[in-house]
Amino acid sequence: MKLAFQLAYKNLVGAGLRTWLNVGVLAFSFIIIIFYNGLIDGWNEQAKHDSIAWEYGNGQLLHADYDPFDPFTILDGHGVLENELSKNLAPILLRQASIYPEGRMFSVALKGIDVNQTTLKLPTASLKNSNAKIPAMMGINMADAANLKKGDEVLLRWRDQGGTFDAAKITVVDIFETNVPTVDMGQVWIPIRKMWEMTGLENHTTFYVANENFQPSNISGWKYQSQETLLSDLNEIIAMKKISGSIMYLLLLAIALLAIFDTQVLSVFRRQKEIGTYISLGMTRAQVVGLFTVEGSMYSIFAMILGSIVGIPLFAYLAKIGIGMPAASRDMGVPLAERIFPVFGIQLIVGTILLVVIASTIVSFLPARKIAKMNPVLALKGKLQ
Amino acid sequence: MKNGSIISIKNVTKRFPVGEGEFTALKNINLEFQSGEFAGLVGPSGSGKTTLLNIIGSLDSPTEGEALVLGKSISKLSHKESALLRNKHIGFIFQVYNLLPVYTVYENVEFALLLQNIPKVQRQKMVMEALDWVGLASMADKKPDKLSGGEGQRVAIARAIVKKPVIVIADEPSANLDAENTYAILKTMRELNKNLGTTFLFSTHDEKVMGHLDRIIHLRDGAVEEDEIINVKTLTK
Repeated sequence: MKLAFQLAYKNLVGAGLRTWLNVGVLAFSFIIIIFYNGLIDGWNEQAKHDSIAWEYGNGQLLHADYDPFDPFTILDGHGVLENELSKNLAPILLRQASIYPEGRMFSVALKGIDVNQTTLKLPTASLKNSNAKIPAMMGINMADAANLKKGDEVLLRWRDQGGTFDAAKITVVDIFETNVPTVDMGQVWIPIRKMWEMTGLENHTTFYVANENFQPSNISGWKYQSQETLLSDLNEIIAMKKISGSIMYLLLLAIALLAIFDTQVLSVFRRQKEIGTYISLGMTRAQVVGLFTVEGSMYSIFAMILGSIVGIPLFAYLAKIGIGMPAASRDMGVPLAERIFPVFGIQLIVGTILLVVIASTIVSFLPARKIAKMNPVLALKGKLQ
Repeated sequence: MKNGSIISIKNVTKRFPVGEGEFTALKNINLEFQSGEFAGLVGPSGSGKTTLLNIIGSLDSPTEGEALVLGKSISKLSHKESALLRNKHIGFIFQVYNLLPVYTVYENVEFALLLQNIPKVQRQKMVMEALDWVGLASMADKKPDKLSGGEGQRVAIARAIVKKPVIVIADEPSANLDAENTYAILKTMRELNKNLGTTFLFSTHDEKVMGHLDRIIHLRDGAVEEDEIINVKTLTK
């Protein structure tokens, strides 16, 4: 085997441009596969991190009648949890409401939150420190959509516990930047105590966000959703993104492997005399098949080296500065930062290397099998068709 | 197999499929070669010279009859066994040299030794010795495309003899060479034949080569027409 590697190395280096073209294409595939997966993994990490920090915390305790996917449950999906049980939980009361910036009506989800909470990254201290009668905050996308800025007042209309409409002016005291659209778009955040006053739903909560000290237990009238459950939708989206991305890079890999396959088929045909010479010098057919297979798989080893020379500094740079995402892509409904920092893990790199090396070995072996059936006399004469 | 005989060809017939029929390349050949012979198969194209050499070199096997090389029946050898026979005991010299283009002169000559797993230091010694024999030690680092025809064939000779084989098979070694180079390579092979006792079997229709042979076997239409012994000394050596 050592001999096969020695000879394959010499043959490939000796083949010159033909080798380096194949190596170049394969190295490009390496880089693209690792880059794309690194980007998705980076997005995955960032999206999970931000979702936990801004929305999910360590899990959520939902009122049994509240279904986040059914807006009709908002009206009655709330209740009161004993103080003892609500330790390590940040309460959020959700009501449907409307705001009227510049006379236009915007339906919003009005969310009352404990201004002292520290579980979520939402800047609730702004609400606490404000002297406004009804301080409110919202995400930057919501503010842009409603054309509101810090200090603006806007009319809010909501229903109280009896279903009666009420209205008052709220003051925008903070506009926060977040990558999590589900705490931004169509949402207005106010202090929960103020909301209790406004709705008459004293101490009522739609759901709680748990911090890391919360120990889930069965609480009658409430249902607990773990962080993992809450992230499952996000995981599904990312998995789908990976599958669609993998089609792209499999096509790219297929082109690179096709180039190797094509080279191998041509090699077996064009190098008949060489094959005959190897056999006449005492190589067994199996050794010659092995040599050609190793030559093919060595393309991937060279590509790995070339890919490392180009890829390592490139990936290190990208992992440091991140990749800017276009603003339009934030409308996808999933947490997407302005810059994604790709994550190039060992598992991804080793997995990609193994995939490419194994695939290139297989596509090299397939044409090389012909050698085993070659008549060395005809091969020496170069008369095989 | 007679005493001292290293190659014994007994009633060998070789047929090749051609279209729906067959072409008989060798017809009931019977020959014996002893160690140290400097013999040639002579005849026009299609007379069966190369076919017979290929059988002796275990690159091919007879359709009928038996070819014994160093006591081994060629037809009965597995791929691995015949590869081992070629690797250890048979050297080949081809009409178009068949040097491996991406290897240097040194690496081409070294190749057969690599297959035998000979240690590097010993390999180096053997390769340089072989290149010395053919007068190309100073060209060890050159690639085959930088060599003249004569030099290329001398590298092929060095490659064939570096492992000190019992038999060297040379198929039309002078076909692409001018008279001067033909003389040079024959002189080299003759010296090796004398000094190492290697058996040389040629196929040729070059009269310049025939003039150097101790034994000429004339083949015509796949049959031995005449077995002409010129230098009895070599045969009894």
